[in-house]
Amino acid sequence: MDGTVAVIGGGSTGTGIARDLAMRGFDVTLVEKGNLTHGTTGRMHGLLHSGGRYAVSDRSSARECIEENRVLREIATHCVEMTGGLFVQKEGDADEYFEEKLEGCRECDIPAEVVSGEEARAIEPYLAKDVKRAIRVPDGAIDPFRLCVANAASAIEHGARVETHAKVTDVLVEDGAVVGIEVEHESGPGKRVHRKPGTVEEIRADYVVNATGAWAGRVGAMAGVDVEVRPSKGVMVVMNTRQVDTVVNRCRPKGDADIIVPHETAAILGTTDEEVEDPEDYPEEGWEVDLMIDTLSELVPILQEARTIRSFWGVRPLYEPPGTGTTDPTDITRDFFLLDHDERDDLPGMTSIVGGKFTTYRLMAEKISDHVCEQFGVEAECRTADEPLPGSEDIGNLDEYMDEFGLRSPIAKRSTKRLGSFSPQVLGGSDPNPVVCTCEAVTSAEIDKAIDESGTDLNAVRLRTRASMGNCQGAFCCQGMASQLHPTYDEPTVRDAYDELYQERWKGERHGLWGEQLSQAALKYALHATTLNRDRDPAARESDLDFAAFDDGRTATNAGTDVSRSERETAADGGRRPTSPNGDSDGDS
Amino acid sequence: MSDADTTPTDASDESFEPVDVFSGEPMDLRPGADDCYKCTTCDTSCPVAEVDDDFPGPKFQGPEQWRLKRKGDDDIDPSINACSNCMRCDNACPSSVPLSQMHNEARGAFVERQMEKLSTEYIRNRILANYHTSAWFASKLPRVANFAMNFGPARWAMEKTLGVTAEREFPAFAGQTFREWWAERGGAHVENPDKRVAYFHGCYSNYNTPEVAKALVHVYEHFGYEILVPPQKCSGTPMFANGMLTDARRHARTNVEELAAAIDDGADVIASCTSCSMALRQEYPELFDITDIETVAQNTYEGLEYLRINEDLRGAVEEGEVDMPDMAYHAPCHARNQGLDRQAVELFRDLDGVDVEDVGPSCSGISGTYGWKEEKYDKSMEIGEEMFEHMEAGAGEEGMTECPTCAMQMEHGTGYEITHPLEVLREALTGTSAS
Amino acid sequence: MAIREDVLVVGGGLAGMSAALSAAETGATVRLLSHKKSTLRHASGLVDCLGYSGDDGPFADPYAAMDDLPDDHPYRIVGESAVREGFDRFDSVVGDSYRGGHTDVNALIPTQAGTIKPTARYPASMAAGLASDTRSTLLVGFEGLSDFDAPLAADRLAAAGVPFDVRGVTLRFPKKFRADAKLTRYARALDRDEEPDKDRAPRFDGVRRALAELVRPKLDGAERVGFPSLIGDDRNDEVRDDLEERLGVPAFELAASPPSLPGVRLESRFLAALDEAGVRRTTGNPVVDYESADGAITTVYTDNNGQRVPYGADQVVLATGGLVGKGIGSSRESVREPVFDCHIPHPEDRYDWSATDAFGDQPFARFGVVPDDDLRPLDAAGETEFSNLRAAGSVLGGADFAAQKCGSGVSLATGHVAGERAGALI
Repeated sequence: MDGTVAVIGGGSTGTGIARDLAMRGFDVTLVEKGNLTHGTTGRMHGLLHSGGRYAVSDRSSARECIEENRVLREIATHCVEMTGGLFVQKEGDADEYFEEKLEGCRECDIPAEVVSGEEARAIEPYLAKDVKRAIRVPDGAIDPFRLCVANAASAIEHGARVETHAKVTDVLVEDGAVVGIEVEHESGPGKRVHRKPGTVEEIRADYVVNATGAWAGRVGAMAGVDVEVRPSKGVMVVMNTRQVDTVVNRCRPKGDADIIVPHETAAILGTTDEEVEDPEDYPEEGWEVDLMIDTLSELVPILQEARTIRSFWGVRPLYEPPGTGTTDPTDITRDFFLLDHDERDDLPGMTSIVGGKFTTYRLMAEKISDHVCEQFGVEAECRTADEPLPGSEDIGNLDEYMDEFGLRSPIAKRSTKRLGSFSPQVLGGSDPNPVVCTCEAVTSAEIDKAIDESGTDLNAVRLRTRASMGNCQGAFCCQGMASQLHPTYDEPTVRDAYDELYQERWKGERHGLWGEQLSQAALKYALHATTLNRDRDPAARESDLDFAAFDDGRTATNAGTDVSRSERETAADGGRRPTSPNGDSDGDS
Repeated sequence: MSDADTTPTDASDESFEPVDVFSGEPMDLRPGADDCYKCTTCDTSCPVAEVDDDFPGPKFQGPEQWRLKRKGDDDIDPSINACSNCMRCDNACPSSVPLSQMHNEARGAFVERQMEKLSTEYIRNRILANYHTSAWFASKLPRVANFAMNFGPARWAMEKTLGVTAEREFPAFAGQTFREWWAERGGAHVENPDKRVAYFHGCYSNYNTPEVAKALVHVYEHFGYEILVPPQKCSGTPMFANGMLTDARRHARTNVEELAAAIDDGADVIASCTSCSMALRQEYPELFDITDIETVAQNTYEGLEYLRINEDLRGAVEEGEVDMPDMAYHAPCHARNQGLDRQAVELFRDLDGVDVEDVGPSCSGISGTYGWKEEKYDKSMEIGEEMFEHMEAGAGEEGMTECPTCAMQMEHGTGYEITHPLEVLREALTGTSAS
Repeated sequence: MAIREDVLVVGGGLAGMSAALSAAETGATVRLLSHKKSTLRHASGLVDCLGYSGDDGPFADPYAAMDDLPDDHPYRIVGESAVREGFDRFDSVVGDSYRGGHTDVNALIPTQAGTIKPTARYPASMAAGLASDTRSTLLVGFEGLSDFDAPLAADRLAAAGVPFDVRGVTLRFPKKFRADAKLTRYARALDRDEEPDKDRAPRFDGVRRALAELVRPKLDGAERVGFPSLIGDDRNDEVRDDLEERLGVPAFELAASPPSLPGVRLESRFLAALDEAGVRRTTGNPVVDYESADGAITTVYTDNNGQRVPYGADQVVLATGGLVGKGIGSSRESVREPVFDCHIPHPEDRYDWSATDAFGDQPFARFGVVPDDDLRPLDAAGETEFSNLRAAGSVLGGADFAAQKCGSGVSLATGHVAGERAGALI
């Protein structure tokens, strides 16, 4: 090995760096305090930019976007859906801006085509009637979870170690240089398992990469350097169905609530841009949700009546060099910055990467990997733009396999899209393979695979499979998902894993609680509290329950009722016998 | 629904009409999946899923499948053909998910895109769906037809070549169709511009059981209604069930045009077959975009229902008397969907001379053409088993139902003679019977 | 108007059906209007009285705990005797198909999740499974039914400290179905004792016997056997008897979230009772509008694909259910009762409608109309909305049916009172 590198942060950038460095021969350890995508990556609308969005304001970003867009379509086919995108002009929206956008796209080599309002409505029938015209661009949708998991898997294939639920508690500085990090493993190294005690580990490294985005300042502080990230929050509202199959952008200068991204089974409305102090503690408010629905229903009127299933907020890791002094976060550049702490702060051994956007994660990873190579004098070339990610290897026509999986359409379609080239291996050999999450068409085999990869963390299983992310928000599948942990993991562990998933689902669901989704929540509550008594189950009680105080079916006369045959027989034998552990009873005939 | 009082924005005032866009194309019903909260009541109400695990149930074939679809996902799971179109899922869903509409659209798309047009199955289904055509030919020579259709070797050949079960006996064709009788009679005997109804008799009452249509005429004239009998084609019910939406649309055009004209003349539309009234009321506006289709839907009633709403039917029946054997009543699934499953039983409770007992909520299992298919026959009889048992366990010696194919199944399973409620009502009100 | 009754009940759940029966008993003519099939079809079939209040419980004696409920709880409004009468009515409807009526004391019922819940009445099919019964127990699940993992459920029961030994085993059902076969398909196969698959049970011609033979070697001394709630549907008793006879030990069903057949069976019991009582029923169309005169409802209208059908009545009972049954609707701004637009108090900010903990004290669970002593809904000013409208069941506010395990009891008690008072005024 050429050297050991610790990468902090399991988002797109961090996993991308880990993959790149591992492919170039480094001994890489990636640590992430939560699940992969825990920070910002898991909290975006899943847009694969064509670059059209930046074609007016930031043309260098726009050019990077379209280049990376083309790369990701090739290397991450199972994570990408090429939906196409529209920049839609409504009556009253400025013509000048429309023309500027079009020209910008052409300048930046972004394929762009003007379609009439009628044509736009033929593409997306639910668009408002007063849509004047639109620019068609190659926007797409991308699943950030799947992408990060694939990057991490590739890194592991190339010898890297990936530790999730491993929070960095210190950056080790010796003799004025960074020499490693200290992490707290929530349940020891390896897969996360509930109820397993945590451990602390020192990870020595020749070099540390801080890829923690909005959290970069915190990690910097541990090393005693200032990294002035300006976290900016944005809301995303998840609709229950896809009102559009194309990314729909409002074609007007910057503004809130101007994009709808079809994402898997849902459509995601976005977003806002508001600077916050703390990337983990900021207000999540109803008016932000309302703003998305009210503003975007100007573009797609049925959104006004449509059901939202939850909302979430993410924080952009915006950065601008000290002294730039931009006040409005929407004006802060989307470019990324590589802060070499040796050059900047006289602290060798560590670099932070901040700013940037999801679509160009690979390019950012390439740049910082080049930088790390320089430090080590390594000449290896970057190959991440050419080698497909695990799951995206070419396996010919998946449709031909589908019959073998014994799954119905469109379950087979959705499963194979998620699994990509793993489909035959995962779906081929399992019988019976019932669908556990019916909202998202996730089968038991797919859940087993995810459990294999992520231990008892059902949220990690959720991120990998989409199970429990549909309209019932886990009401009908949490139980089935948790059951699959058994008997590998024991009952109390399964119970904790279940509870964690259930509570996590509830957190986001609260932002959508009115209309159909409130009824859905009431039904979920009825199933889990009324019928299953999960809220007050004796198994979770501190004290023992006096079972004898309750009806045992025999405390009083059952006069007039018809006891079943064997009950009669037992009674004729002189009553029920006391339990014997080995069950030596007359019932065992 | 629960969002009804959300303040509409300016944009939604000129609210979007998806039919403008989807005209002629299959509708995008994904938004209908918004209403599903997965309670599974549709699945536990599905008579097919209970006997046939090839059918994954209405929840999957409805809101789940639609929600998982994307533009460009053209393939429909073939299990849609296992649905009998009984529409009990519609009646079950507490959230008003348009389940049967979803099934109809999916089935139409399947037949259009995935079914081999030269296959025996397609040809058989098309023939079954276009019953009115066969019936029209047969009615020209009813006695020959009655012999030929149930001639053993012919039936054997039909099963082998077409997959039409040889287990069932084809219904007999009447010597004189209802329309022939109506013409011979000189049309309406009552003229009344204030109380006018247009009668949609459907194929079966015309060709096979004109006594039901005649009973309707006598009952309505008894209450002083002027009856119009506009030209009409098949309601489309068997076509929906077989995914033959193009055929159904063609017939619907004629029906809507003729019935809308009658409504313009001050008439309300009534039907004696509950599947026909169902089609006009619900499936037409759900599936087609034809001028006046909403008007027809909103002015169509089932024959007994219309009188219950507009006349003191209970009072009239209380005064009447009949001499009839006790009857086992089966509510057709399509009557259930219109909220009519109890009206006959509750009405005749007050009638002297006959006891009518409801045989319960089970499905007869025939579902129009479903039970005529060789491969579905056994399932159809399994579904019907519960109804047969209840009929036989009850006191009734004859059967009663509004639906002609349910009547076939009741007769086939028990050997009972089957009467239409209008025939009982005719005797109660006018003291005369069909014979 | 042609269709007219003394008492009109809007809503076909447990509360509406109880109200209709109690009204009919007074001699009034009664019609029950319901939009769709009863929500009983997706309920567990368990009939709760009162299991918890705040942090207290489970209560062995629900009646002893009623006095401590908040003043606006429906039980406090109608009083203990009405609750007892409601349960008496229930007992007379269900006959021996239900148990628990022999005592005031709650039963603890094991569920398919391996949890235990307190309830007042339980289907006969669950009687042998009570958690206070000390017989050792085997739970049997089936491959491919992901709703129920028998070994896990057994471990959880053990973790709750149940006074018996319990084990779970997963078997292959003797007849192979597709992995997405509905519960009703299994139940049907047992109901009709269909032929098992030869490769799964070569020696037997009926699926019941085949199942018993698969379970027998796993008994290993267990004194009772629990199954998911699919042991027959129409012939549930017969199937259970058959299995018990072949196994030599009692068999029972576990309570389950939907799909669950015991709820479906309970619905048919009630429908039969309604027929017997002469209650008229119209199901399939929603009530969308009404007319009133002098502060009293005179007519309600149903909608059938755009047609409005009028129903006249002297007294009206509102039993349309809560949020689950869609008797209570909501938008981003407000919570409302959609049929008569009765007042439903609720916090202005929708984030105050729910609690941050999924199982915390959920305000939405208590949403509902506020009644006077006579169960008549009150408007925001505290005046009766209509002089002849009474509310029953989950449309009433003040009870958390889920946390308190009191939903069915509230429906039975208030349904009974509303129906009886409406009928008595005729």
